[in-house]
Amino acid sequence: MTIHHHATDETLMRVAAGRLPAGPARVVGVHLAGCPACRERLCTFEAVGGTLLETIEPVPMAAGAFAAALAALDAEAAPTVVSGRAALPVPAMMLPGIPLPETLRDCEMSPWRWIGVGVRASALRLPEDPSARLTLLRVGPGRKLPEHGHVGTEFTQVLAGSFSDGYGRYGPGDLSEMGHEIEHQPIVDPDGECICLAALEGGMRLTGMLGRLIQPFVRL
Amino acid sequence: MHDDAVPDGDTLARLIRQVATERDRQAYARLYSFFAPRVNAFLRRSGLPPGAAEEVAQETMLSVWRKASYFDPARAGASTWIFTIARNQRIDHLRRMRTANVAESAVPVEDELEPSGEALMLCAERESSVRAALKALSEEQATVVRLSFFSDKPHSEIARELGLPLGTVKSRVRLALGRLRALLEASS
Ligand SMILES: [Zn+2]
Ligand SMILES: [Zn+2]
Repeated sequence: MTIHHHATDETLMRVAAGRLPAGPARVVGVHLAGCPACRERLCTFEAVGGTLLETIEPVPMAAGAFAAALAALDAEAAPTVVSGRAALPVPAMMLPGIPLPETLRDCEMSPWRWIGVGVRASALRLPEDPSARLTLLRVGPGRKLPEHGHVGTEFTQVLAGSFSDGYGRYGPGDLSEMGHEIEHQPIVDPDGECICLAALEGGMRLTGMLGRLIQPFVRL
Repeated sequence: MHDDAVPDGDTLARLIRQVATERDRQAYARLYSFFAPRVNAFLRRSGLPPGAAEEVAQETMLSVWRKASYFDPARAGASTWIFTIARNQRIDHLRRMRTANVAESAVPVEDELEPSGEALMLCAERESSVRAALKALSEEQATVVRLSFFSDKPHSEIARELGLPLGTVKSRVRLALGRLRALLEASS
């Protein structure tokens, strides 16, 4: 899988700073899991954080804070080994035979719903932020999504299939970031269904019929 | 606890190793005295109120003790490693505030993404290049980089803080990041 479209510098810096909202953070997280190049760039921006930490003007802790830390460590019976990820049960299936990407397996997935001709969607509920909107979209071959602009940035990670818009062709592993000034109309390539994961920061300006159908779904 | 000299990266890395392998409390004390007030300052600048900043800084330093054996100097320098712990602790803290009434989520913030082999080699030199690159930015560019780290809505916040139009700030962020990356690529 060759990745052609990557996270922008600004996005990776926000990930490094821990400042991307939960929905977009998940979309970018799926991209990072599959993209060594972006992980490498992320390390660089994390090092920016390390340098800022080193050079910041310190603010003293309260008197006794260090003693309190030692006392807290003493109180711990055995050194807790912090295990990385809790073992998750049977992987949730996105579609029969197709599991959700590993980085989404703790999300609750709603049933696929028809939201327009050739377009189905499923909402993912994030344990870390139940109010966040994260959407799986399944669009049939050759289908057009409504033409729209964006109030904030739209993050779309392609999981299967491909689509094209005025800005390029996006295949599995690619991440599309559409900024607020951009209007586009994604069209799924004719050779197969496209499944992608999308989150919006801010909102979407929709035009046309399908747009009005999608609107209540993404609940702007 | 009273060590005024600013330890260099190698010293800090060695102290973390001593905590990991020997559970050395003196080494931990030196790490604490250097990092706790800086993490505290960082969290305050990031918008946490003083009480919460100190609480999260304390949690961060406890994690440094508990997770010391996971520190891999080939992957990140000491300050960068502790920065990522503080960042994750801050996210966890905000999450707990937001989901106080929802069942506790067991999913930890992303901790381990396996770097590729070549990433490992680059990581060792990254810290010093980043430091040099940050120094080489213009004051204007360094300011937007700093503010990007400390504001939730980088562009709008920065625009307000600097009293500049949003478009100017957006292009300044882009330029600063592009410059930073160009400098990093040139030095690797
Ligand atoms: Zn990438
Ligand atoms: Zn869009």
